[in-house]
Amino acid sequence: MSSLVVNRVTKTWQAAKGLSVEAIRDASLRVSSGEFVAILGPSGCGKSTLLELCAGLERVSGGFISIDGEEVRNPNPKAVMVFQEHALFPWLDVESNVGFGLKMRKTAVNERWRKVRDVLERVKLVKFARHYPHQLSGGMKQRVAIARALVGSPEFMLMDEPFAALDFQTRVLMQQFLLEVWAGFKSTILFVTHQIDEAVLLADRVVVMSAAPGRVLEEIAIALPRPRSMTDPEFNAYRVRLTSHMEREVMHGAEVQ
Amino acid sequence: MARSAAAALVPWLALVALWELAAARGWMSTTLFPPPSSFIRFAIESDFRVGFGQEGMTIPVAILASAWRVVMGLMLGFVAAVATGIAVSMSRFLSAAILPIVRGLAPIAPIAWIPVGIVVFGIGNPTAIFVVFTGVYFLLTLSTVAAVQSVDSRLIKTARTFGASNRQIWAHVVFPAVLPQVFTMLRINFFAAWMAVLAAEMVGLKNGVGMIVILGREMFNPNLIMLGICIIGVTGYAVDALLLLIQRKVLWWKPE
Repeated sequence: MSSLVVNRVTKTWQAAKGLSVEAIRDASLRVSSGEFVAILGPSGCGKSTLLELCAGLERVSGGFISIDGEEVRNPNPKAVMVFQEHALFPWLDVESNVGFGLKMRKTAVNERWRKVRDVLERVKLVKFARHYPHQLSGGMKQRVAIARALVGSPEFMLMDEPFAALDFQTRVLMQQFLLEVWAGFKSTILFVTHQIDEAVLLADRVVVMSAAPGRVLEEIAIALPRPRSMTDPEFNAYRVRLTSHMEREVMHGAEVQ
Repeated sequence: MARSAAAALVPWLALVALWELAAARGWMSTTLFPPPSSFIRFAIESDFRVGFGQEGMTIPVAILASAWRVVMGLMLGFVAAVATGIAVSMSRFLSAAILPIVRGLAPIAPIAWIPVGIVVFGIGNPTAIFVVFTGVYFLLTLSTVAAVQSVDSRLIKTARTFGASNRQIWAHVVFPAVLPQVFTMLRINFFAAWMAVLAAEMVGLKNGVGMIVILGREMFNPNLIMLGICIIGVTGYAVDALLLLIQRKVLWWKPE
């Protein structure tokens, strides 16, 4: 059983002229295999930074992050990041975008195409294998980005507000799609969002972060059966509880500034 | 594409019609500004040959000579500039050693390199290619460096999260990401390079389409001058259209 452990992590950015900015202070959390965990917090609370630390794209300033007991220092095939606004390579078609990670890790060509085909079939993108990103809608691009992350069978998918740039209708469809992927691929997802509804709809557990410097304020388990409905009274109870947290943090953040 | 080409032809046909009308009605001097009907007839009657003896050449050969020079110079300049720009961006030492020199040489007009080319390479194709090369190389090196700096950081982070090494990031992300932007700069600078080739042909090389105009002046033949000017325009337009085609078909992606 694999797990991602964030233990008392701090992150300080060194700016010019000896100034430093504290992005994360003493944050701890744990994600176990198969879980769907959402990190919820106001803009600029360091939640994206926390994800980049987990992905090994940045180094922690204090504390440690480990995957299966091994400290994360560099990018790691076990934890792959999916960014806001897809970040597909515009010069590669869908199948080459999806196969990019396998190519970088020098997977044999035959095996690479077999895995790419397999993932494209499972996420129903085969028809678009030869399309280029600019020929796809926003939702389709994000599906390709998710397929690209899935193809290497990572243990953790780290998603940084992946649906924030989409319109409401597309976002609803993508949230549904992500839940299907999560169930179908038995993946483990750490999902950053600033939208309360999205967190309650998707996650097993919501980790609430404070305004900068980011700290973990509370963890709330969402004990609602799936599929969840946003109009359910119990859903609303979670929404109210999280909204009061967020309001407090936003106001607090405004005072600090 | 065919439709827009046809649309672009209409104002030209109108201009030629006006020109012919003005010449026929005597509104302007046909000796100084012979209309197309005159200089095209002249070209056909002289069997598409201009000049005599050592300076003699056929018009198609002249066009090919000029076009070859500019295309070769642009190609070499583009490849060398992208290579230099990426090398400079990868190394602080190279950046400190080379960039100040490139910045200093970039503002020099390509025409100013003609005497240098003639001294170093003599009279011939290498000089013309050298002039085009220097005309685009320094500018494109600077624009490659700028393009490298503006590569979307999410693309680089994405590559890193998929385990790409630094070398792989340069080869598979930065290199393809900068090509369209640098090629656009190449197209913008093509006209300056084209003018430099013509000037080189006029002052030293003694062949190519630039030479047709000079021959016209030396022989007091306005038909030849007008013919040369028209060929320069049409050939330049054709090379620019070729560059545009490459941009649309080969280097079509833009940063999102």
